[in-house]
Amino acid sequence: MSVRRWSVTLLAAFVTLLTVAPLLWMVSVSFMAPGEAAQFPPPLLPETPSLENYRTLFGTFGIGRFLANSLLVSTLATGLALLFTIPAGYAFAKLRFKGRDATFRLLVAALVVPGQIGMLPLFLELKAMGLVNSYAGALIPWLAGIFGIFLVRQYCLSIPDEMLEAARIDGASEGQILRRVVLPILTPIIVTLALFVFLGSWNDFMWPLIVLADQDLYTLPVALAAMSREHVQDNELMMAGAVVTTLPVLILFLALQRFYLSGLLTGSVKG
Amino acid sequence: MAGLSIEGARKSFGETEVLKGVSIEVADGEFTVIVGPSGCGKSTLLRSVAGLEELTGGRILIGERDVTDLAPSARGIAMVFQSYALYPHLTVYENMAFGLRIAKADKSEIARQVQRAAEILNIESLLGRKPAALSGGQRQRVAIGRAIVRQPEIFLFDEPLSNLDADLRVRMRYEFAALHRTLGTTTLYVTHDQVEAMTLADRIIVLRDGQIEQVGTPRELYERPANIFVAQFLGTPRMNIVPVTVSGAGQATFSDGRIVALPPHAEALSTGTRLSVGIRPEDIAIGAASDALPHRIGFIERLGGLATIHLHGAAGDEPLACQLRDDGSLREGDVVPVLLPADRLHLFDAEGRALHGEARE
Repeated sequence: MSVRRWSVTLLAAFVTLLTVAPLLWMVSVSFMAPGEAAQFPPPLLPETPSLENYRTLFGTFGIGRFLANSLLVSTLATGLALLFTIPAGYAFAKLRFKGRDATFRLLVAALVVPGQIGMLPLFLELKAMGLVNSYAGALIPWLAGIFGIFLVRQYCLSIPDEMLEAARIDGASEGQILRRVVLPILTPIIVTLALFVFLGSWNDFMWPLIVLADQDLYTLPVALAAMSREHVQDNELMMAGAVVTTLPVLILFLALQRFYLSGLLTGSVKG
Repeated sequence: MAGLSIEGARKSFGETEVLKGVSIEVADGEFTVIVGPSGCGKSTLLRSVAGLEELTGGRILIGERDVTDLAPSARGIAMVFQSYALYPHLTVYENMAFGLRIAKADKSEIARQVQRAAEILNIESLLGRKPAALSGGQRQRVAIGRAIVRQPEIFLFDEPLSNLDADLRVRMRYEFAALHRTLGTTTLYVTHDQVEAMTLADRIIVLRDGQIEQVGTPRELYERPANIFVAQFLGTPRMNIVPVTVSGAGQATFSDGRIVALPPHAEALSTGTRLSVGIRPEDIAIGAASDALPHRIGFIERLGGLATIHLHGAAGDEPLACQLRDDGSLREGDVVPVLLPADRLHLFDAEGRALHGEARE
């Protein structure tokens, strides 16, 4: 191997270590006894690894419930987002209707408005509809993300019209064309979009905090934040909470990484 | 099977009128080719027959049925696209079976139809493959197979060969002709390639600017073009056109005063009439004769067996293209005697319309 390749490999290894180290230490600390991580210098590994923190988390704090809440909200958010975003993106790309391009331009223009600006009006709107403090309220912002519509539309633009016309001649209805021709072609972008939405809603803190008042409805990040207010000193316990929060999405991401990458690359690589 | 009638088809996109009242009759079982330059409306016409474009005016009848307002799938047509338009996620078998599956046909019936089409096209061994694993020619066959499986009354082809390389184009042309003989299905075929039109068609329709210029058999169009456009569109190199003035009974004068004999049907033209004479490159002869006109050879394109010779002469500014068997004896810069046989000349009036005499053989 040349010096150049060695140095590139070393640099990559260093950056990887830099990125992974905090995650690994988070896992390590979660197995430490109370107060152990606060020593100086902080230990890399627990002296006597124990599951005590996890027991407290799942026993005393009932984090299992919040984990289930988060799973439910994120799964629903993903399902609903796909349900609305894919047909919308497809329609903007391939169906002819009046005002199509004008509407799309308006949507894209709205992308530049930060989400936080919409939070208050959205909250008031949901309040008027009686949806505050319910999962319906927590899910509404995920229903149809402009970014998702944009992503699907751009990908759909690369599908040749002739293929859809061939399906029309073959007798397929517009719904059948979407289901049997377009969706299979869209698989990489659907996986990518699903990951985006799932990760986004899983990690979302602000909106659930605003809209969910009842503690039983809390999602993991909100519950964890509430917990950290009471247990500022319990680093080890908090780290166990962080592991419970991070691990599911990390596994999901790694499992779908292959599709995700091909989805992100499609725009540039596909002919 | 059925014939096809298009009656006064009009189509506008916004302000632009693409089809300006096109009427066509295609007899049952006939192979008709629509040919014309890009933007002449030929694809729009085909897509209108398929139901992919809505006509602004006029009617389309397949057999006795008025299909003008029917959905594409209800018209009894099948279409083969230029890009093949195969479904990339489905196997060849599934691609061909797609339409029948949508129509909820019986499984064994689907298998029978797909098998039959695959046998006709010799693609049985490809049925399990995905389109990405096929060559261009194979994809083209699958696209045709998908059309055959539909058992249409009318086949529509939209420039199906233009994505293939030259060698494959020749082979597929032959196969199209063979396929049409086997199936005998009424076919409407669009191309901008006049060679495809000449070799495949029972009848050719030449379209320009959304209007029909001429309809006829390939031979009729080649031998008796209705106007300069058709004359120059069919045949490569294209027909030479030279302006002349009638200078006496049966003769005309080039711009520089040299004289050419006209065919017999020009006898009636009065002196002073301005005309264009057309002559196909293969009808020009080089050889000594009393009425030969000397021309200088400007450029020779040697094609192997044949050569196209560009002759600069007295006859206007445009060089004449002449096609000969190439024996290697001619050199660029030579001055040679050129014969324009009167019986091979085409005459066109000032508007470019043909002045026909008796049909020539």
